[in-house]
Amino acid sequence: MSALLDVRNLHVWFDLPEGQELHAVQGVSFTLEPGERMGLVGESGCGKTTAILALMGLLPASASVAGQVLVDGEDIMAGAEKSIRPHRWTDLAMVFQGAMNALNPVKRVGAQIVEPMHIHRIAEGSEAERRAGELLELVGIPASAGERYPHEFSGGMRQRAAIAMALACEPKVLLADEPTTALDVMVQAQILQLLTRLCDELGLALVLVTHDLPVVAQVCERACVMYAGEIAEAGPMDELFHEPRHPYTRLLFAATPDLYGEDDVLSIPGVPPRLDHTSPGCSFRERCDRAFDRCASDHPESMMLAPGHVAACHLNEVGAAAGGSA
Amino acid sequence: MNPVSVEPGVVPDLDRPRRRGGLLWDVVRKRKAAAVGAGMILVFLILAVFAPVLAPYGPRTQVGPVYGSPSSSHWLGLDDGGIDMVSLLFYGARVSMIVGAAAGLVATFIGGIIGITAGYAGGRTDGVLMRITDYFLVIPDLVLMIVIASIWGPALSHIILVIGILLWTGTARIIRSQVKSVRERAYVKRARSLGAGHFRIVFRHVLPQIAPLLIANVVLTVAIAIFDETALAFLGLSDPTAISWGSIIEHGFIRQAVTAGAWWAIVPPGICVALLIMGCYLLGQAIEDALNPRLKVAHLSIKTFRLRSLAGKGPEVS
Amino acid sequence: MAVRRTDYILKRILFAVMTVFVAITINFVLFRMMPGDAISNLSRVPHATPALRAELAKEFGLDKPMWQQYLIYLQQLVHLNMGVSWVEQQGQPVWQLLRNRLANTIPMAALGTSVAIVIGIASGVVSAWRRNSAADYVSTNVAIAFYAFPTQWLALMVLIIFAGVLPSYGMHDVFSMQMGRWQSYLDAFKHMLLPSLTFALTLFGEYTLIVRSSMLETLGEDYVLTARAKGLSSWGVVRGHATRNAMLPTTTLIALSLGYIVAGAILIEAVFSWPGIGMLTYSAVIHQDYPVLQGCFLVLTMSVIFFNLLADLLYVKLDPRINE
Repeated sequence: MSALLDVRNLHVWFDLPEGQELHAVQGVSFTLEPGERMGLVGESGCGKTTAILALMGLLPASASVAGQVLVDGEDIMAGAEKSIRPHRWTDLAMVFQGAMNALNPVKRVGAQIVEPMHIHRIAEGSEAERRAGELLELVGIPASAGERYPHEFSGGMRQRAAIAMALACEPKVLLADEPTTALDVMVQAQILQLLTRLCDELGLALVLVTHDLPVVAQVCERACVMYAGEIAEAGPMDELFHEPRHPYTRLLFAATPDLYGEDDVLSIPGVPPRLDHTSPGCSFRERCDRAFDRCASDHPESMMLAPGHVAACHLNEVGAAAGGSA
Repeated sequence: MNPVSVEPGVVPDLDRPRRRGGLLWDVVRKRKAAAVGAGMILVFLILAVFAPVLAPYGPRTQVGPVYGSPSSSHWLGLDDGGIDMVSLLFYGARVSMIVGAAAGLVATFIGGIIGITAGYAGGRTDGVLMRITDYFLVIPDLVLMIVIASIWGPALSHIILVIGILLWTGTARIIRSQVKSVRERAYVKRARSLGAGHFRIVFRHVLPQIAPLLIANVVLTVAIAIFDETALAFLGLSDPTAISWGSIIEHGFIRQAVTAGAWWAIVPPGICVALLIMGCYLLGQAIEDALNPRLKVAHLSIKTFRLRSLAGKGPEVS
Repeated sequence: MAVRRTDYILKRILFAVMTVFVAITINFVLFRMMPGDAISNLSRVPHATPALRAELAKEFGLDKPMWQQYLIYLQQLVHLNMGVSWVEQQGQPVWQLLRNRLANTIPMAALGTSVAIVIGIASGVVSAWRRNSAADYVSTNVAIAFYAFPTQWLALMVLIIFAGVLPSYGMHDVFSMQMGRWQSYLDAFKHMLLPSLTFALTLFGEYTLIVRSSMLETLGEDYVLTARAKGLSSWGVVRGHATRNAMLPTTTLIALSLGYIVAGAILIEAVFSWPGIGMLTYSAVIHQDYPVLQGCFLVLTMSVIFFNLLADLLYVKLDPRINE
């Protein structure tokens, strides 16, 4: 049986003004089953946001995409915008960072939840409004609040409303892009609990994009670690933490002193490479504490190291000098 | 949330003071609109400056009958005094551009001072100055200009001052916001804490930062000033002895050019005014756009993203 | 960012009232400070006898100190006493003239402005939506061109082009004394078309540019991406979300163009001899009829202040962030 969401070798390029290209996403692949909660982590600019925007085809005209995005076995990317649009919100829905602007300030919240139901002909009139009310209750907001405008909500409530809106067409997968970054810690915890509960109760699959490791630890069972547009390592959370098979993962988790502590302070020295020209070898080698000669010439390919655990690092290959674990 | 910002802006480095001359040249080089605008202005400038050399005839010399038709020796015909239209246009450029530029400078000067004072001083001064500015923003410019010019009497200097005194409002507001933000920057605060006097800070730190904005503003204000001079001339309020494009149109109107079918006495000067204003608008707008680079990508456009196959592109597929 | 609605409305009304006072004061200052002594200027009525001059001097209080003259002036204004015209029809009261002429200008200007707004919004929205396409390029440059054409020149162009097709002088056919009421309205309407057309042509350029700019700003907002993510078509997003939001700054900016509308009225009516307040201003300038000129300035300025206030109130209605 095919996975709920199967992303195969996704690439995204952006045209740059002077005729060059930015290779923002370089061969990302992962699968997702119903009810599964997966994190997508990495530094700013590593391409994680671009990757999930690409899944829904929400890219500007300057972008070009390659690869397959299979939802229940059907490649929705095959016909670009035309083939993706029917699947937006009905199969894949998204919650954005900073819901202040993600919600239209001059429209009532209820109307914005009802809107996708009309678009996809799922419900009309009072039936739609009733459903919208139920969704609001589901996320912990009184149904009557649908009559209000977004600016009348607090930050946490707005994000809940955005989640309710995302569920309007009963999607299979929820893509959450930094959903709690703009919120304070207490509210963060509530939102994350909400997301976990929704996945359990509704069988919703979740891709949680963030640079904040404690957040991923709280919600997700699995994570993909992205670096410079590629997946450096992916696997179950505890394996990533206890037995990382990529130096970046190890350094990332080590940089966060306490998983339940404060916000990210990613203090790996150096900066990520530019993505507008390709260079041979591993893109992490300049910041890696274990790079060796092969890292400069050969690009490491993703290797399955254990069921559900892959990593792209030469250190994992049989015959490499020392193991890659901490 | 936006993956990449692809606007070719000339983004100011907020914490270091910026060199000023380079910006203008960059803008003209990079943006087509700016180059076109600057080009148009340059052409008219040359025509105006070298009018005595370039014009085929004198601006007050009768060379034919009243409203003579266009011919090979007079490409744009003759006006109501039998004077060659092409020559009139060349000489007319002088007054139109001088009045426009002078009025624009006066307006920007006044607006700049008020804007800098309000933005830098803040508090009560800011409130009062902006309140006055708001009153003048609402009161219709041209109408008040007409009234003042009527009372004061027809003279070019009067026209320049009248226009300048009423066009400062737009500049004042824009400069004030910019000054407010510059005032909060690190190097200005450093200078303050070192005990630098206000004038020194304004001249050495604030002024260079707002200079590009001032320049954009001068250009845009000159455009409006030319429009206003043309209107005032049409109403007979300009110096009757001066030849400007506006006065050429006025003569044509008063002396029944339309009835005489002499479209050439009216159409060309209007086109010249329009071209010069367009040039100023394009240039000024381009500079302003460069100073506020739109860092947002438009989330909507007609074209959508493209699909690519991987064969031969990108890294090896494993 | 919520502001109390009633507070906001009161503030705007107060501002409008203050601006009116500023305008009145400017008027007063200008005309009392004219070169030449005030008495001889004000009493530059044709055939003025010394007795008449003395009368006028007393009426306008020209022998009293300036602040008293100001108060007298205010009092006269409240009673709509703005003096008499020096030129029109044997000294017709200025207020009467203004009232009649304003009634002629309003329908003409309203028609032209409405058409300009509709065209401006339509082309601005489409330009922004199809940014950088050929349509955008053409539309934007046409808008800039029409924005740059001097209003009086546009009027003359319209005159030249349409002179044979539509009436182009005044409001009524000179030779049609015996028209019935409806016929006379129809005739007036026909005469109104060319001036209104000119109005539309001179205004739509600026509106296109304003709307386009607002729309581009709006299209960069996050909620536009959300709308797209929900599955709306490109046009659906523009229609359902972006346009409504872009109308907010557009309302404000159109209000700022009121001064331009008023200036246009003067220039257009002068060319077409449309008997409105613009034409009145023009002839007042030509004949140096200062009482009328003063009156025109006041009326035109009041109109701008009034419509500005209306635009403010409209904005309050449109933006839910300003609430009770």
